[in-house]
Amino acid sequence: MTAPLLEIRNLSVRFPRGRDSFLAVDDVSFDLAPSETLGLVGESGSGKTTIGRAVLRLLAPGHRGIVGGMRFRDAALSDLRGGALKRFRAEAQMVFQDPVSSFNPRRTIERIVAEGLEIQGLPAAETRDRVDAALAEVGLSRAMVKGRRPHQFSGGQCQRIAIARALALRPSMLVCDEPVASLDVSVQARVLNLLRRMRQARSLGMIFISHDLAVVRSICDRVAVMYMGRIVEIGPSAAIFAAPAHPYTRTLLDAVPVPDASRKLVPDRARAARASRLEDGGGCAFRGRCARATGLCTTQRPPLAPVPGGHMAACHHPLGAAASAPAPASA
Amino acid sequence: MTAETLSGWRAGIARMRFPRSSFLEAFSIGFLILLVALAVLADWIPGLVNPNFPYGDFSAPPDLTLNGLFGTDALGRSILSRVIYGARQTLVIVILATAISMTGGLILGMIAGYCRGMAERTVDLLANTMAVLPPVLIILALVSVTGTSVVTMTLTLGILDIGTYARLTKGGVISQNQRDYVLAARALGAGHGRILFREILPNLVPTMTAVVPPLMAGLIITEGSLSFLGFGIPAPAPSWGGMIAASTDLISRFPLLIFGPILAIVLTVYALNTTGDFLARRIDIRERQI
Repeated sequence: MTAPLLEIRNLSVRFPRGRDSFLAVDDVSFDLAPSETLGLVGESGSGKTTIGRAVLRLLAPGHRGIVGGMRFRDAALSDLRGGALKRFRAEAQMVFQDPVSSFNPRRTIERIVAEGLEIQGLPAAETRDRVDAALAEVGLSRAMVKGRRPHQFSGGQCQRIAIARALALRPSMLVCDEPVASLDVSVQARVLNLLRRMRQARSLGMIFISHDLAVVRSICDRVAVMYMGRIVEIGPSAAIFAAPAHPYTRTLLDAVPVPDASRKLVPDRARAARASRLEDGGGCAFRGRCARATGLCTTQRPPLAPVPGGHMAACHHPLGAAASAPAPASA
Repeated sequence: MTAETLSGWRAGIARMRFPRSSFLEAFSIGFLILLVALAVLADWIPGLVNPNFPYGDFSAPPDLTLNGLFGTDALGRSILSRVIYGARQTLVIVILATAISMTGGLILGMIAGYCRGMAERTVDLLANTMAVLPPVLIILALVSVTGTSVVTMTLTLGILDIGTYARLTKGGVISQNQRDYVLAARALGAGHGRILFREILPNLVPTMTAVVPPLMAGLIITEGSLSFLGFGIPAPAPSWGGMIAASTDLISRFPLLIFGPILAIVLTVYALNTTGDFLARRIDIRERQI
């Protein structure tokens, strides 16, 4: 395997909550290879977005709650300052869930797409060429956007403009935070195809944050499933979708709607209340909602370990090939 | 998209997105424009007499001539002329004081809202202190030491409003700073200066323009009170407050003479407040479209 583009080791992020604190990301490690797409999935509040922002050094400046190592191309992210940080900004870009709110409402589209290049100090002529090229890549042109502002474009167009703004800097890593969640399904497909094309054309390493498993499955090489700030299952997308080992992943997959009226969803067990994020249980965070939980799960936190499907899961009682549970419904 | 079919200045006007104004709002804005125009062009208004020289009978009642529209005062000076020249004085004081408080408030508010922590607590304390200081009493105390002075009054009025502008700016900076576009700018490599001045500040302009007119109305009332008490604009110069004070002495015999300066203050304060409401509504419309 080639040297990873991004290496995350034992990352924890803690936010102060009054006198208390809130552990948003809890001991997370993963690698991102160049031109690989890693999906981060999980319910809201599972820490996906926080990881995305930590990786881009976008958490509040001087934030003391970040523990752990993050390396980008063999440079420690926490050491980047001044010029080095600025160069990193050009290397690592972000696409937001709501494109319109990610644009300064008082700027024209041309200025928005050119902003990164301007900040990086490119000469005006080159900035102009690169803006033209970036707009063309996302299927727009300067003539189409001339003098117009974000609110004059549709959601899908705005997301393409956001992608153009990120790609104009020629980054090697792109963090997409729910990039299609606010779009219509037909427009989603267009934006996903665009991202797929860009990834191939530019060997772009992508972190794709989403709660939509169908979307993740269609675009990601690898998937990390997050629950309450921890990675509970990680591995090649195909392996996880074919044979989820963690009961939480199973629950997520079962929740994907399929166009089959005869399929009946029967919950394994009555739903238990979600554990509070502030109380620190020693065991598995999912045990309260898990049908397979035993005494071991309350006392000991399960580590990530290899499971039969060829990936890793953090569960004492992983769902194996021999499990008695019905086969995953998602085909 | 209508802007597609328009071009040049017509598209520019279409983009300004002003809300429909009611009759009273249109009247208020029109009145303010007229007032500023009269104050600026007072020296060139044909037929308008010098406000400091007697023009007719003493304490003559209003008639339908230009200079006699509001009558003449106890020294035979045209009250209309004095109202117009008084507007000039008042407007200069109000605009300079607003410039001082806005500049100071923007600087302090941006520091407080962006840095938070200690800076924010200090600015809050300062703003709260200024908010409880009664401007009329402070200026009375000051001029009792320095003597009646327009400069002292303007400076004090300006400084005492810094807290209000600082608090408004701080709130605006904090709310804008949480928006995705600021995060996006940071991801593109923007430094603190660029984020504050190129991203956040332009987005504070609509809010700030809406709060300026009502605060100006407050300044006009304070300046009027001080001049009424004889501690504002010194006596021979025309001032609205001073004219009201002079007319009250004659009110039992010539009740109509107080009408001019009172009308000027009431209409100006009303027009400023209404214009503020209009501008505030305009922000709501912009926010909805964005």
